[in-house]
Parts: sequence; structure tokens; C-alpha cells
Amino acid sequence: MAELPGFQLYQLAFTARLRDPQNQPPLAGVPNERMAVYEEIVFNNLFESVSACFPIARKILGKRRWLKLNQAFMRDYSASSPLFRKIPEQFLEFLQTAEPELRQQLPPYFTSLCHYEWIELFVASAEAINIKEVQPAGNLGNGRPVFVSAMQLLDYEYAVHKISPRHKPRQPENTQLLVFRNADDHVKFIELNAVTYQLISLLQNNPISGRQALALLAKELQHPRPESIIKFGLSTLEDLRSQGVIIGTHD
Amino acid sequence: MAIISQVQGTGLGLKRELIPQIQSLYGQEQLANINFVEIAPENWISAGSKAAKQLDWFVERYPVVCHGLCLSLGGPSPLNVDFLQQVKTFLCQYQIPVYTEHLSYCTDGFKGKQGYLYDLLPIPFTEEAVHYVAQRIRQTQDILGQRIGVENASFYVAAPISEMSEIDFINAVITEADCLLHLDINNIYVNSVNFGFDPHAFLRRIPGERIIYSHMAGHYRQTPNLLVDTHGENVIDPVWDLLEDAYRLFGAFPTLLERDNNIPPLAVLMHEINKIADYQSKAGHRFTTFDQVPEQMTG
Repeated sequence: MAELPGFQLYQLAFTARLRDPQNQPPLAGVPNERMAVYEEIVFNNLFESVSACFPIARKILGKRRWLKLNQAFMRDYSASSPLFRKIPEQFLEFLQTAEPELRQQLPPYFTSLCHYEWIELFVASAEAINIKEVQPAGNLGNGRPVFVSAMQLLDYEYAVHKISPRHKPRQPENTQLLVFRNADDHVKFIELNAVTYQLISLLQNNPISGRQALALLAKELQHPRPESIIKFGLSTLEDLRSQGVIIGTHD
Repeated sequence: MAIISQVQGTGLGLKRELIPQIQSLYGQEQLANINFVEIAPENWISAGSKAAKQLDWFVERYPVVCHGLCLSLGGPSPLNVDFLQQVKTFLCQYQIPVYTEHLSYCTDGFKGKQGYLYDLLPIPFTEEAVHYVAQRIRQTQDILGQRIGVENASFYVAAPISEMSEIDFINAVITEADCLLHLDINNIYVNSVNFGFDPHAFLRRIPGERIIYSHMAGHYRQTPNLLVDTHGENVIDPVWDLLEDAYRLFGAFPTLLERDNNIPPLAVLMHEINKIADYQSKAGHRFTTFDQVPEQMTG
């Protein structure tokens, strides 16, 4: 530290105080009420950005614990993105990498819940990728279904989409969700069953047709009548197309 | 596509809330004094397809300028060159001819990362800070391949270690960096109250020929000698007087209204924008142009 110029030492003392006004000493020669302006605006800025993204998580913790958690975020986390939009994502990373001591004070489903709340923002602002040569009305069995680019397939340990202050999960409940942005730029959530989740996952990760994916799935499930899986699966894919999750096919 | 000399007259800081109103009233006489609009790149870079469509709409119709918030020209962490490259790509993609930033910092290099604090913090006015900030402005200009404007920031704490006045600091930095000035009229007034100096005397020492454009805004009066730069109120008379004085001194330079909080309907904002236009038409013509300056559109 000794080699830092004086103005930088001052800046670091200044920001240390902003990060932790309760424990860091006030700066010599700086009036408290002036410093308080910065302490308030810097914290409130962060607090409002985080709170706006996590309305349910905030209610689950209650005012006092939510405030304390945000104070810890301000104090302990070094944000690396200049984009305001990414503040919630960085809050999530703060939770995911927090000390066990802090994590133990939070409900076991809390980080999953925050992830679920954040993903809406993430999908809303995901880059739109223009996928070429899609046949919108292509046959989903014979062709390769093409999924909308702004989409996430999610697998949670808890039923995150049902959590509210009145409904806090007592135990894990494996939950698969699909979140996507439709052609009107609205973000939609769909709850999936385990088979549909697997089907979409197979299609996303392999260059295969709808029918091939369903045949693989029937085999994996050791289903006695594979054709019933295929029939059911094709109607599921049609349903996903009508909702805008599948935008067409590739040959 | 806009070029720098098209940034003229009066402009408006583009807030998402205002977009539908501007789009529905576009082309009508009541919006005639919106000659250019300003965006913060931090709010528009990789912001998704809806934002991209909106921005396309504006770029086709208005000269757009970029006013950054998070470059942290005075910050202790290394300049975020990756981010600056993103800004460069963004400016190029939307053919935006002007980029300005604040004479402040918003990072502390905490834990070896940038440590963004997302607000404009005051740089102590020392000799070492002048060289440091000027060097970072030069680095920024080198990367972008164009001159940038730096804005005089508002602040609430005077660093006890400061060795010079704010106006001396600004002039020293601008001269050493050879950059442009983004003059914020309201910030001069806010600081003059917060630190007890004469804003008109401050104004007379501004290098007028370097003004790329200026900001007008309102502020919040927390106590009689503490003003907070909220951009959430109407512009007050002493700030209008300063603008008039500035036009008298330097000629009518382009001026943009910022309103970031407590945003009234567009029609109400237009009163203030029209008032700026009135002041401009009464003021003398300005001979400074920056046509020779930029070579930024070659990328």
C-alpha cells in the first residue's frame, strides 16, 4: 500500500467507509452529514436494484434480514460488471460463493429461489440470435425442432415457482421449468414433466429429429410401447410450437 | 448515421419511460426542439432485442450521443479495457459520434477486481490525480480512436487532501488529456452551494471552445447548503441564469435536459427544452465546431 499515491489512499479509505459504514472509521476532516449522503445513495442504489429483481426472496427473509443480506453484499462482494442490469446477477453470484456462515443463515431453497427470480431478467435481456433457414411449419417428427434462442431449461431442487411467504417449502421437490422469451418479447414460464424436460434436453444437445429423440427416450425409459411415447411426444412438441418455444424445424 | 456536427440545438436524455410518448408524437410540432437524444451505454449495451429495436428507431431519426456512467476515469482499478471495447463496438454499431464520461470514479479495485460501486464519487483534486486521470482519458481516446468529453461532476464531500480548486483541476485535466468538455450547468450550481463558491466566476474560467454540449437538470435541496444532484426536479432560476451567462460568454452550445427521477409527462419536459431553445435563439452564434475532430467512424 505504501507506494500508492495519497489521493488513492484517500479514495480507498472513502470507499471502505461506503462499503461498511458501521465498522469502518469516518474520514478525518470530512463532515459526517456529507459522507452520509454518499453512504445512503451508494447503498440505496444497489439495494433498489437488487430488491426490484427479487421481490419474493425479499419477502421470504423479511425486512431486517433482507437489509442485512444486502449490507453484506455491499461490504463483501467486488462487482466486476459496469452494467447496472447485471447487479442482480452479481448478487446471485455473491450468494452462490458466500461463506458457509452466511449461507447457513438462509433457507436451504433461498439461492434457488433467487436464481428463479433472476432468470426472468436474464431471458428478457438475452441477445436475440437470428437463426437461419428455419421452416416454421416443418414436420417436428422428421425435422430437427429449432428452439427460440432466448430460452433456459431449468432443473431445481425445490418447487421454486410455488414459493411465497405463505408457502415456504419444507422439503425438496425436484422441479423442471422452461423459461423463454416469445416473439412479442414477453418472458413466459412453463412447468415441465420429467419426460418433456429430457426430450427438450436431448433435442438441444443433439442434431436429431423429433422422432429420433423420442425413440431414444422410449428406449431409455424402457417403455413397453415406444409408439405411445412417440405419439405423446409429437403432440407435446406441437404444443411447444404453438406457444412459441419451438420456432420451426431444420432439415 | 449521425456526425458530430449534427449534435446541435436542444436535446433530451432518453429514459425508457419516455420512449412510447416520443414515438407516438414523433414528427409533431410540439417535439420540434428535440434535436438529439442521449443514452447511457451501460443501460443499452447487450440489453436484449426490445432495447435494440428501440435504439434502431431512434438512431434512424435523431443524432444519438452516449454519456457513460461507469468508466471510472478516476478509479484506482485499471481502466476496464474490455468494457471500453464493448463501448467502441456499440458506438460503431449505432454510428454514435459522441461519447462523454464523468470526472469522477465508481470503482475501488476491491479484492483485485474492479469493485463497481455504481455511483459517481469525488476525485481528490491533487496534482497526482490530474496526471492519473489525464492519462486514463488519453488511454480511452486512444482505444476509441476519438476524443471524448468529460463532465464536471456534482459532489458532496470536499477531500481535505485537495491541493487545488475544482476549476483548476478540471482545466488541468482537460489540457493535459486534450479532451473535450461536457459542461453540466446544474453541477456547477450544486457544487457552488455545497462548497460556497461563485458559480459565475467558475463559469468564466471554463474553456468554452472545448464544450461539446451541456446538461441542464434539477436537483434536490436537502438543506440550504446541501444540494443533491437527483435530476428529479424542475430546473431552478439560478441555474437558468447560469445557462444564460454561459451562452453570453461562449455562444449557444448544444444543450440537453436530463430528467432521471420523478419524470413528468413529455409535454411538461418540453417546456424546459423549449426554454433552452429560447435562450439559445437569444444568444449569439457560436463559431466553434468539431467537424475536424472525429475520425471515429472508420471502424
